[in-house]
Amino acid sequence: MSQLIPAIGFGIITASILAIAAVGFTLQFSVTNILNLAYGDIMTACAFAAYIANQAGVNIWICLVIASLFGAVFSLLLNRLVYFQFVRRGTKLFGMIIVTIAMSLIIQNVLLAIFRPTFFSYHASQGPSYNFGSMVFTASQLAIIGIAALAMLGVHLLSTRTKLGKAMRATATNPGLARSCGVATDRVIDAAWLVSGALCGIAGVAVVLNTATFSEGTGATFLVPIIAAAVLGGIGQPYGAMLGAITIGLASEIAASVINPSYKDVVAFGILILVLLVRPQGILSEVAAAKEVAA
Amino acid sequence: MHDRPAMPGARISLAVAALVALTACGSGNQSATPRTYTGTLTFVSFNPFTGPDASFGTEMAAGCIPAAHLINQAGGVLGHQVQCTTVDTRGDPADAVPAAQKMIATTENLVGLNGPSSDEALATVPIINRAQIPMFGDTGQAAFDKSKYDYFWRLTPPDDAAGIAMAIYAYRKGYRRGAAVFGNDLSSQGNVPNLLAAFSKLGGQIVLNQSIALDKGSYRSEVQTLIAANPDVIFTEASPQTNAAYLSQLQQLHGMIPVIGTQPTVQPPWIKAVGGAIGKATLAANYAAAQPFAPSQGPSWDVYNKALLASGTEVPQPDQWSQDPYTETDYDAIVMMALAMLMANTPDPAFYNKFIAKVVADTPGAVEVHSYQEGKDALAAGKTIHYVGAGGPISMDAYHNSSGAFELVGYATNGNLPQLDVVSAADIAKYKT
Repeated sequence: MSQLIPAIGFGIITASILAIAAVGFTLQFSVTNILNLAYGDIMTACAFAAYIANQAGVNIWICLVIASLFGAVFSLLLNRLVYFQFVRRGTKLFGMIIVTIAMSLIIQNVLLAIFRPTFFSYHASQGPSYNFGSMVFTASQLAIIGIAALAMLGVHLLSTRTKLGKAMRATATNPGLARSCGVATDRVIDAAWLVSGALCGIAGVAVVLNTATFSEGTGATFLVPIIAAAVLGGIGQPYGAMLGAITIGLASEIAASVINPSYKDVVAFGILILVLLVRPQGILSEVAAAKEVAA
Repeated sequence: MHDRPAMPGARISLAVAALVALTACGSGNQSATPRTYTGTLTFVSFNPFTGPDASFGTEMAAGCIPAAHLINQAGGVLGHQVQCTTVDTRGDPADAVPAAQKMIATTENLVGLNGPSSDEALATVPIINRAQIPMFGDTGQAAFDKSKYDYFWRLTPPDDAAGIAMAIYAYRKGYRRGAAVFGNDLSSQGNVPNLLAAFSKLGGQIVLNQSIALDKGSYRSEVQTLIAANPDVIFTEASPQTNAAYLSQLQQLHGMIPVIGTQPTVQPPWIKAVGGAIGKATLAANYAAAQPFAPSQGPSWDVYNKALLASGTEVPQPDQWSQDPYTETDYDAIVMMALAMLMANTPDPAFYNKFIAKVVADTPGAVEVHSYQEGKDALAAGKTIHYVGAGGPISMDAYHNSSGAFELVGYATNGNLPQLDVVSAADIAKYKT
């Protein structure tokens, strides 16, 4: 029991990073209907962009902004130059998944060729530790939690208080109807890739701050929990992704503290399976149901 | 369309018998005469070149290349030049099995292997053995301590011996409360049983035996459990990223605890990842690792090191492997196979395999040789040879194993790995279960 409260604290950190990544992943999917399995590798590319800046002496938090901008532009170009070419030719969901897997491998191998097979770390201090009861957080972890909260708030405000957000929701629900109602869906899709890429960049740096070291394959290893969080919440649902991230993050950390830590993913994914058995479209289901892709 | 006439019973029997005979031939039984080879002979480094244990493959190939250069400079083997190629097992049996099958089916003039590693040995050794290809495994698994595979050879001590060396060193240093934190992969877990048994037998207490999932973002809950167990030393082996994340999170939550690692933790990627995560000075102050003891000196090592450093672009940063016992023994393996071919007067693995032990046998009257060139000259002069390896003297037991002592090395911030202690083979034998 004495391990449980700290584990919840650790779960909040994990959930924060997962939430940033999962919301970006699911937001883009909801608007574009492309399950982008290269997402983890874009995270890695963003982490390398931040690394280059960091090595040049730039503060890590400014590097995070650089990674975010890099991720936004990278994602936009990836869609315009690659994915959209296939969509235009009528490639369906499954075909697009294969295309994104191919892009994942290409990005990973290009990074490998450029940076060689070794490990990299940022020049960044974790800062002092703060105790909240028996939970412990470093300053950098509190910053990540804060950034996650801000990102979630930003996504909420974007989707509920702006024209762009409403256009995104309209495009996500029924792109044909949105287009006939005057929504410039191409621009909305561009915006979705930009926002998703920006969140992807933030997540990439946050992951590295958490693991302390990274290589060309780091982002790909986080893709499964990111997708799990998105699917658990109801894929295509940003709020669902937040909820899914919290569930996966807390479940895996609590599992690691009370059972053999080798099986922490088993517990987290066991919960995923159980939830999907009860609610096949995920916890928050409207978009997933509409797209008929959840689970 | 014509109906095929029914085949008489006798013909069917004959056809079945012929098929059985053909199958038997194809399944690897030795023919009476050696195969004839044309062109370059190929040695393969069969190891992970990608994935968490990617550094194994690079380490292994770094031994093959200088050996091949020296063999070719000495005129090759029985008129054949030799070459080194690589096959990536990805450190996963699911990938390694088809890779082994493809390698055997498609590699021209395949005459020997370095590998497999612990990650894929159990799955692939039977396949390679059936194909009658001599292999020098860098696997540390205890399952091969009494190997029944004719074509399996091992020049480095098993993982369970490394676990004992780690326990003995920890006890000598005064540590009495040990925590075993190992990755949940086959390779890492091979160290654990003998480590636990030896440390307890010495009088220490294992306060935590933690098996951790690899390459996760957070190990804080695992670290919290470790802190609660209050160890004074951590025994570990996991992938570089896993150990880096784990130890940096330990540093955040508690401060470092001395770490004793296995040989994979001595490799540059691990040092770079963990040194980057916790700081080089912290690593230097808290780190030791057990690795097979290779003296890295003497005439055989001099030949090896000179060839290694002259490898050019084929071995990036060759000096990093100068004192690496696995690279040294991988080099020795290639030299031994080439000399065995000379003794057998054929590169056919099915014939030269049984000469491998004779290359290193310290028989009365044998001439001690330190390189392929010396061995070739001695054999040409009709002498019996005793090859002493770059990694030290080699003595094969009945199970094709040659084990020895371990050294404990530390880490200095300039990148050096100073020797801290040596645990003898006799000490290890005392605690082997």
